[in-house]
Amino acid sequence: MYDQPTLIELLNVVRVHLKDQIIPLLAEDNKLYPQTLAAINALRIAERELILTTEHMQAEWQRLNFVQQVKTALPAAAETTREALTERNHKLCAQIAAGEFDAFPQKAALFEHLLATTTEQVQVANPRFLQLLAREDAERERKR
Amino acid sequence: MADILNQDDFRQRLTEYLEAVLGEPVELQPPQLLISGINHENWLLRGQIQDQPRQFVLRRDLAADFQTPSLTHDQEFSLMQAAAAAGVRVPTPRWFCTETAILGTPFMLMDYIEGVSLGAEVVSLPELAAARRVLPEQMGQQLARIHAIKTEQLTFLPRPGSDQSPAQAALHHLNTALNRLEAPNPALTFALRWAEQHLPPTGDVVLLHGDFRLGNFIVNEAGLKGIVDWEFSQIGDPCQDLAWPCVRSWRYGDGQLPLGGFAAREPFISAYEAASGRTIRRETVDFWEIMGNLRRAIGALIQANRYRASGTANVEFANLGRRSAEIQLEALRLIAEQGV
Repeated sequence: MYDQPTLIELLNVVRVHLKDQIIPLLAEDNKLYPQTLAAINALRIAERELILTTEHMQAEWQRLNFVQQVKTALPAAAETTREALTERNHKLCAQIAAGEFDAFPQKAALFEHLLATTTEQVQVANPRFLQLLAREDAERERKR
Repeated sequence: MADILNQDDFRQRLTEYLEAVLGEPVELQPPQLLISGINHENWLLRGQIQDQPRQFVLRRDLAADFQTPSLTHDQEFSLMQAAAAAGVRVPTPRWFCTETAILGTPFMLMDYIEGVSLGAEVVSLPELAAARRVLPEQMGQQLARIHAIKTEQLTFLPRPGSDQSPAQAALHHLNTALNRLEAPNPALTFALRWAEQHLPPTGDVVLLHGDFRLGNFIVNEAGLKGIVDWEFSQIGDPCQDLAWPCVRSWRYGDGQLPLGGFAAREPFISAYEAASGRTIRRETVDFWEIMGNLRRAIGALIQANRYRASGTANVEFANLGRRSAEIQLEALRLIAEQGV
């Protein structure tokens, strides 16, 4: 148990400081301006990851159980889950490369899983990209 | 700026270099930074040579790229000369220098062409509206000229092995690069396997620019004035160069307009067909668009990994690693359109 502020609040306060106090000083600096914007973005990624990671790891774990046709229990600790997920993904890559998902319906299940996992990654890294895709899809649908 | 030099040193050393290669008095104004990318910098040099006003662009690499086997400056220099001789719009290359003692890295000097190269500006500046209307056709025509360059003298260009199609060679390269990361990525592993199982038929094999896209074009009111950044040139499938400017990463305007985010794909390909006499299989271009996304996605991971390995704090490289996911998602969506 730690006293407040929380980890997310700490990241947030540093990010807001950079954005409101530092960025206005750097408008003329060709190097530090884009780099500091990138730093702000990195903090945003970290904040979103902290909020979403438990949910995402659990969902990925359950999908892997389905795709790999096993019933492994989710480890209790987050760090262990992360390591175990890396292990499982190593195995999944080896299975893909060995052709174990070349046929349907395994291939369709795998593809759904990959789409979901990649989308979750983008939710953390750049959610605006998902909004952009959704707008494009809606517009394409409308034109049909 | 040159990492180890201040601006005066930079100018002084270049002046001495040019005086040595020209045997003439040279007077340079302070160099002006045009582009500071992750991989290279471009500087504008203005000055007097033999009392004549001259303008050059100096290009220096900051770190070797990895995405495809890249050319050295002297090779890029010979290639640009060949392209200029073939009537391709390219800045006339003047000198290259591999001596790192001068600026800390090798560099190349070429004639300056006035215009805009930043993709975001090409798609949006009001004064380039007319240029944008002719650009797809000009791109198709220029690409046909590039693909017609004779390659006999250019023995240094990377090419597929004798038992490989261009697509197989590219896949081999991407697989090797992904495996070297030693981080499991099921989405990319799947996409590469999908590509292996959907190889296009092999057609003509030609000289490719290798990085033919917005950002590497100098554009003015009349349209395409110069094509730069030849270091990814190789021998391969013409459809690779036709697909690359349509990859989402290079859509600087509207994401639904495949060609650079400012135009449809078809006028570009039709102009290419008319100029080259080649019939282009659209499905093969679709295939190479997926390959282009895989090249970008793996490239982003490698750049991020390089930063992790070096231990230096580079926040732009770090973010790139996480941005790979959206390019992977684009590749998966394109695969879904083709049929999993």
